[in-house]
Amino acid sequence: MKTARLTTPISKEEVTRLDAGDVVYISGLVYTARDMAHLRLKKLLADKENLPEDFEGGVIFHAGPVVKKVRGGWKIWVIGPTTSVRMEPYADMVGRLGIRAIVGKGGMGESTLKALAEYGGIYLLAAPGCGVVHSQAVKRVLRVHWLEEMGVPEAIWVMEVINWGPLVVGMDAHGRSIFKDIARKATALKEGWFPA
Amino acid sequence: MAVTISPDVLRLMKQAQAGETSDSAREMLKTQIENVLMAQKQRKPVCQSPGFPTAYIRYGGCVNISELVAVLKEEIVSATGDGFLRPSMVHPLTRKNSGDNSGIGVPNIELEHDAAIDFLEIIISFKGCGAELGNAVRIFTPAQIGENAAGIKEFVIDTVIKAGGKPCPPFAIGIGIGGQMDVAAKLSRRAVSIRKWDDRNPDPMLAALEEELLAKINQLGIGPGGIGGKTTALAVKIGMSHTHTAICPVAVNFYCWVARRAGMRIYPDGETQYPFDEEVGP
Repeated sequence: MKTARLTTPISKEEVTRLDAGDVVYISGLVYTARDMAHLRLKKLLADKENLPEDFEGGVIFHAGPVVKKVRGGWKIWVIGPTTSVRMEPYADMVGRLGIRAIVGKGGMGESTLKALAEYGGIYLLAAPGCGVVHSQAVKRVLRVHWLEEMGVPEAIWVMEVINWGPLVVGMDAHGRSIFKDIARKATALKEGWFPA
Repeated sequence: MAVTISPDVLRLMKQAQAGETSDSAREMLKTQIENVLMAQKQRKPVCQSPGFPTAYIRYGGCVNISELVAVLKEEIVSATGDGFLRPSMVHPLTRKNSGDNSGIGVPNIELEHDAAIDFLEIIISFKGCGAELGNAVRIFTPAQIGENAAGIKEFVIDTVIKAGGKPCPPFAIGIGIGGQMDVAAKLSRRAVSIRKWDDRNPDPMLAALEEELLAKINQLGIGPGGIGGKTTALAVKIGMSHTHTAICPVAVNFYCWVARRAGMRIYPDGETQYPFDEEVGP
């Protein structure tokens, strides 16, 4: 098990060096993106319109924060991972955007595993239900996109984080998924309990 | 209540941490417990997602509860403005966020009138929605139930494996058995919402089923956060109703470990009790 400290923009080489089970700490820019942001990005790409950010080498966080309005901007009050598999239909798009790390909870499926290998990326598990802990790593909000139309949880919050972690590599760029391994073993156990 | 979790659940989390043998699982539980303590201290919500609120109200006699229902709606909107609840309620089709957690059917209110009781009990339960994504319902035929309910057990275990790390393990599972589909679904949410997670089912047959399923689930190796370990579920709670001779509806309902719920029981003489061992009042 290795520990890696990654700073954005992250290169393909940096993530392909990592294996499922390794631990990562991230510093730099992180974009929150949930269902509606993914849907909108997909539509912009289909319509050949400009995207609000250049995601190459970036990190997306499946999360919708609790925010507070402060003088001169926003403060991330509490932020933690949401269930990643909802974003599974966008796996290929996320890969093509050059995103090197997806952070969320619960793991993702086969399309993501394939995209991570094809484009060079990792899936990181953030401790679920630990929004106060994760918010400690957020230093500031740089900007927010689509807040009016989508509301607080679904907007893209562009944040600077310092030494955010530990995040566990749940899925790597070599086709390995901790979640898939666990499900396979659990299914074998179940088939022993309840023979067909 | 957004700044902590139910005391019975925190107690089970601490027990689980002491009993874990895997380093990463123990570390995950430690972070989760630390997060609760930080939230309490900093007066921040434990989790960014408030989940969806349901209020279980039990009352007897001629108590008028119409004002109570109005107050609940107002309190949720007010807590949202104070940063305790993220605005998360949307129109189901347009996905438009109301901005203040108001909305049709929010909170969901479950009323139970019982002429035999002389108190008013209210339990508010915010249940996370990552947990909701793992839920499943199946209408069994008598043949499918199997010997010793093996068919139902397999369905529950299958549902847990499919859900994996998505419902924020260590979770609890509510199982509703009986009625028709709507009854089973309501029983499943109710069982895991209003019972203490370390209580024992008064029905010996259901108590045995709860214990067997909990032991099996914790052998699956999903673990805290879904990255391995023996603490996958903290509790299994079953609610039952009679059903029709042709069917057996079963609903499986996950409750993430961030169990934000609180309750209060008020007697006519003003005595107040807290069903989840809350140390402080509201």
